[in-house]
Amino acid sequence: MRVSELFGRLVKEYGVGPLFGNPGSTEVPLLQHIDDYILTLHDSLSVGMADGYSQYRGYPSIVNLHAMPGVANSVAFIQTAAANHSPVIVTAGQQDYRHMVYDPLLSGNLVGLVSGFVKYAYEIKSPEDVSVAFDRAFRISTSPPRGPVFISFPMNFIDEEIHSDVKKPDRVSTDIVDTSAVEIIAERINESQNPAIIFGAEIDEYDAMDEALRFSEKIGCPVFSEPLGSRASFPTESRRYAGELLPASALMNLTLAEFDLLLFIGADITIYPYLNTPLLPSHRLIFVGLNGSMRLGENYISNPKHFLRSILPLVKKKGDYLKKPDFSRRTRIAKARERMETEYVSHAIAKHFPRFTLVDESISNSEAIRSEFGYRPRGYFTAKTGQLGWGLPAHTGITMAGARSVLVIGDGSLMYSIQTLWTAVRYGIPVKIIVLRNGGYNILRSYSKSFYPSLANAEFFKFGIDAERIIESYGVNVKVLDRDLKAFEWLRDTSEPAAVIVDMPEDIPDLFL
Amino acid sequence: MDVVAILPEFLPVERIKEAALSVLPDLQIFTDTSFDQVRADVLIVTTFTKVDDNLLSKFQGLKFIQVASTGYDNVDIDALRAKGIMLSNIPVANKESVAEHVLSMVLSFLKDQRFLDREIREGRWPLLTRSFDLMGKTFGIVGFGAIGKKLAERLIPFEVGIVYTDIRRLSEDEEELYGVTFLPLDELVKVSDIISVHVPLTENTKGMFNSDIFQKMKDGCIFINTSRGEVVVESDLVLAIKKKGIRAGIDVFSSEPVDPESELLSLENTILSPHIAGVTLESQERFIKETMSNVLRYTQGIEPLYRVI
Repeated sequence: MRVSELFGRLVKEYGVGPLFGNPGSTEVPLLQHIDDYILTLHDSLSVGMADGYSQYRGYPSIVNLHAMPGVANSVAFIQTAAANHSPVIVTAGQQDYRHMVYDPLLSGNLVGLVSGFVKYAYEIKSPEDVSVAFDRAFRISTSPPRGPVFISFPMNFIDEEIHSDVKKPDRVSTDIVDTSAVEIIAERINESQNPAIIFGAEIDEYDAMDEALRFSEKIGCPVFSEPLGSRASFPTESRRYAGELLPASALMNLTLAEFDLLLFIGADITIYPYLNTPLLPSHRLIFVGLNGSMRLGENYISNPKHFLRSILPLVKKKGDYLKKPDFSRRTRIAKARERMETEYVSHAIAKHFPRFTLVDESISNSEAIRSEFGYRPRGYFTAKTGQLGWGLPAHTGITMAGARSVLVIGDGSLMYSIQTLWTAVRYGIPVKIIVLRNGGYNILRSYSKSFYPSLANAEFFKFGIDAERIIESYGVNVKVLDRDLKAFEWLRDTSEPAAVIVDMPEDIPDLFL
Repeated sequence: MDVVAILPEFLPVERIKEAALSVLPDLQIFTDTSFDQVRADVLIVTTFTKVDDNLLSKFQGLKFIQVASTGYDNVDIDALRAKGIMLSNIPVANKESVAEHVLSMVLSFLKDQRFLDREIREGRWPLLTRSFDLMGKTFGIVGFGAIGKKLAERLIPFEVGIVYTDIRRLSEDEEELYGVTFLPLDELVKVSDIISVHVPLTENTKGMFNSDIFQKMKDGCIFINTSRGEVVVESDLVLAIKKKGIRAGIDVFSSEPVDPESELLSLENTILSPHIAGVTLESQERFIKETMSNVLRYTQGIEPLYRVI
């Protein structure tokens, strides 16, 4: 068979389709045997869609980008996929090797371009490489920490004949538990006076939410979620849940000051902005998980689900922390109702979209949205890198993967990847988009207010866009939210791609020190 | 249709009569109950007139009684039922006034105004403060009728947590609107920093604030009663003020005027007012207007509002 047919069969047999992409002439030969293709109108959007699709399914997806410009266009999305531990197999066409010496149009060092962001990058050197490289890419993408991989396909190999068998992929086990570490950590916990647990995105990634809950119930200490986590980490309605850590070092230190042992399970530390305070300088820190970031403290490589199952019988009760009821929450929501402020809108979204998967790119409103929505398995996704433009394609991919999902996005973020709407309409993907329109980059205005006050009202942080007309122009139905909130009901119940715009106050929020 | 009003002498009877005659030209006004027999379809009373069999026996043809106040515990409901007489109150005219009165008492306590005022008058200039913010406190509202709701509306901007209890729990949407969380009374008194009572006096509410309930309150809790004096066991309240540092704002007493020997008058931790929380110039105007409107509604054959029975 020819390489193009082999590629089509590998995509099918490995179950990684559909192929997301935006092709150019370089890739045309490779698509001859692809029968499930999702076209995006910008290269990068295909990576964002595949990222969402992969994360929701917990299985690799595949993308085909157009040569050097297409890969370059997509680098930010590839970086986000890496930070999100999303196993996306990125492929791209490379120019015909027979004239590479002349640096032909669209050529370039693709492997070099993506190497900092992917776990495996390989340019096919011979047609016989394809099966092996594809299989390695698939397996490396799913081995922990999961992440994107890259294969470059020079044009001159695509129509060549090869002899190759295509079989289903072998299993990659991630059920890793360091049994000696389990005993050591149990001893550390049992010796501690006042421990706290910090759960992170790997809890959801490895389906360990039940185990996390059982562990927290037995040990009885407060549970925090990692700062700026990209996924759900712990059922927030649990009585043990003490809240989300703030990403600034000084604030994290203050929150955790009273504890003598901090146990990070499936969690990482994301910090921003810089504060002149050492991070957790006087605690015993233990990190357990598969991300291997090795930032601080003792590190143990284990799958959090299996680790939690193993350690459960060994740990003693260390307290009986119970979350205090927050009676002022309802009052804050009622207060915010008058001006349709963040807390009220967030509450209304959570109320109208129960058990939906939230894709969050609401930036300056994100904390309130997350707090109202709460965490549950596969219930929350955001870009770990803070990248704008990820939300819309990722939500589209997550919806394609079968989730009842809603995207909450700012009007600024929406414009980064608006062409995704064409893909949603073209393939009948029932995206549900809530645009929080505040007419500016409010996160920047808030940052300026804290650190560079003269810029807080800078004109270049503000814009006015006619989001209704822009969205409508893609054939997506759109409504502006009234006080009766009926538009949310409409959005929830429609089976068509649809959007609701919420006009928010343009006040500068207090998000930093 | 014959309409009779019994109004206490201390009210501006002439002014009321002048205002009422434009809509009820045949209105008869008495300032006491010493009359014998009178023909009346409608009787207007305030809470200062006891409505019992004795009074009812003086009326011929009485079909509807309008109490010109929120409370109607001066009315013998069974006697009215036995005679098939309808009863309405006016639960809407003084709710804003009572809510504001509650807030004034609460803020006086929190801001330690009596102490600071006295210090300055006595020539001192205190540098330390025992003042607290209302923001962030948990405010318990016992009885979530018209007054309780008005109070909640006024508390929302203060950014407090509001918990409430009532014999009828609100719908989820109503709770969201008022920003309140329902709790049983036992739980409410445990978590609240401030408690304000807005229940009618009934067999169930009589003495509901007793030593058991006060015992469950936080030390130093602010307790405000602007409902009815009999809802509180006063001797138990006095003990709670002494032993738990409860601070009490009391507008209503078990007997009124309050007994000059009552310990409530000599305790530091109290702010007292003479059953006047609902009485402001503006609320009196609203009572007259609402009372007249409701009587007019009845005389024109329209179902009166605020039916009790």
